[in-house]
Amino acid sequence: MSLSGRAAYRDELTHLAAANPSILCLEADLGGTKHPFQARFPERFLNLGIAELAGLDVAAGLAANGFIPFISTFAPFAVLRAAEGVKLNMGYMGLNIKLVAPYAGVSGAWFGTTHHCLEDLAVLQSIPGITIAAPYGEEETRSVVRHAAATAGPFYIRLGRNDALTSFDEQAANTRNGVLWHMHRPARLCLVSVGERGTQITLQALKMRPDVAHAHLSYLDAAHLTLAAAELGGAYTSFLVVEEHRFFGGVASSLALLMPESQVRVHSCGFSWPHTGGEHEDVLNVLGFGREALLRQIGGLLDKTQFNSCDGPD
Amino acid sequence: MSKTQISAVAELRRRARELIIDMAATPTGCHLGGSLSVIDILLAAHLHFGNGPEHRIVLSKGHAAAALYATLHLFGHIPNPVEHYGRAGSSLTGHPNQKVPGVPFATGSLGHGVALTLGWALGQRLKGARGVGVAIAGDGELQEGLPWEAFQIAQAKGVGNFAVVVDVNGGQNDGAVTDISPMPALTERLTAFGFAAVACDGHDLAALQDTFGGHDFLGKRPLAILAKTVKGKGVPSLEGNPTSHYVVLQPSQAAAWKRSLS
Repeated sequence: MSLSGRAAYRDELTHLAAANPSILCLEADLGGTKHPFQARFPERFLNLGIAELAGLDVAAGLAANGFIPFISTFAPFAVLRAAEGVKLNMGYMGLNIKLVAPYAGVSGAWFGTTHHCLEDLAVLQSIPGITIAAPYGEEETRSVVRHAAATAGPFYIRLGRNDALTSFDEQAANTRNGVLWHMHRPARLCLVSVGERGTQITLQALKMRPDVAHAHLSYLDAAHLTLAAAELGGAYTSFLVVEEHRFFGGVASSLALLMPESQVRVHSCGFSWPHTGGEHEDVLNVLGFGREALLRQIGGLLDKTQFNSCDGPD
Repeated sequence: MSKTQISAVAELRRRARELIIDMAATPTGCHLGGSLSVIDILLAAHLHFGNGPEHRIVLSKGHAAAALYATLHLFGHIPNPVEHYGRAGSSLTGHPNQKVPGVPFATGSLGHGVALTLGWALGQRLKGARGVGVAIAGDGELQEGLPWEAFQIAQAKGVGNFAVVVDVNGGQNDGAVTDISPMPALTERLTAFGFAAVACDGHDLAALQDTFGGHDFLGKRPLAILAKTVKGKGVPSLEGNPTSHYVVLQPSQAAAWKRSLS
């Protein structure tokens, strides 16, 4: 049984902290009452209360002391309420802060739009110097947390809520230049999956469409996407990025700029505001994002688009 | 304090004000009124704590950068700033940044310097070190919500090695604090937030240093100094003049104001 992304984060960080006394775990009253880090290292666990903007500054001050602060709160509060701290402390000053943001996208579901964040990648990608990761599944999440702890510099880690997702097999062996080639096969269209739910519906759609390829991206910052764009562009010319994000400002927007010779489209959450409750999937359906909608989009593209050639490896 | 020490401090205050006025006479000008109100607080903090590796002094009201640069020059951190301030290729920007020696954090977006300093002081506590974090804020700056978030955390975590000095000059960009969004009873409010809150003459270096010296920085209560100051302090024709917030001076005017320094 896999752990959810945020449960995997908490567990992995607790393990890492046993060997690294510089690691601190900061929360803003959304870490729950059974946080494993708090139970094991209470002196290094700081619940700062409901104060996200100050929390980013406190993390900066701690980082200036040589600590490695991991600070976690829901994505809308981490990125939008505390946006200036992200820009100044993580971007401009480049301090060693790891910002971990569950509840990204509309994984907050029935909690409503105050608890949704479909804009985080647009904000983060516009701020230079921050490593951005949106891992899928327990193993990839643990890998990203280990990477963040071992690497000097600011990280943003995008997570969902409670989805427990099956990890990719042979993840490291199939990754080149930041691209995890899950289905690298002759195809006129390559799906590029991003994040937890974006990757999940891509994997579901692939079962119905053996004629498309699939690449998964875990790291989404400019440096990683530049490498990934070269890797992707060397294999295919037409891409459909699947990301639980707004139409503009996400990975598709960046790849379109980085791959001017390629066709880059997006399956996204578009432009509208959800006003209704339900589960995560229900809210995504309102936004036109999901397995069925993705399959319709793939069908439309493969039926209607004139492709230059049959792309892909021999 | 001996007569020699008093004379040295008087010379330091005069020299700092000359540098600030000279920066107001550069092509960019500077936030002159607030720089002249806060300069004695900066000097007192640097005289008491130094600006070495042990402590951090953060000018949260970063628009008074001219006062900070004057102080950093007089304490040997940077060359004479007048020749570089605001110029292309110089890191001495209108709001200070972390590339300047002696500047721990970029400030200028108001409120952040307070919370950044708190975080640094908390880090010292966690390390078992004895460094003191001193944030210097404006009274108008406290209209932001962020400092109060920081004050709340300072109390909750018992960060007694954190000090905030409020430059209570009564002015802000668009006029008087009392006319725009008054900040009454700051001493009482900060006391309620768990601070050892003390009102003080913000132009009396000895009183400021005594207040720093009298605080238990190893304890759990953070220190707040409500330092009453005068915008434009030291230039008789400028003192209390609300138009002094941002000034670009002609060289002749700068020379006259330097001669008039009280």
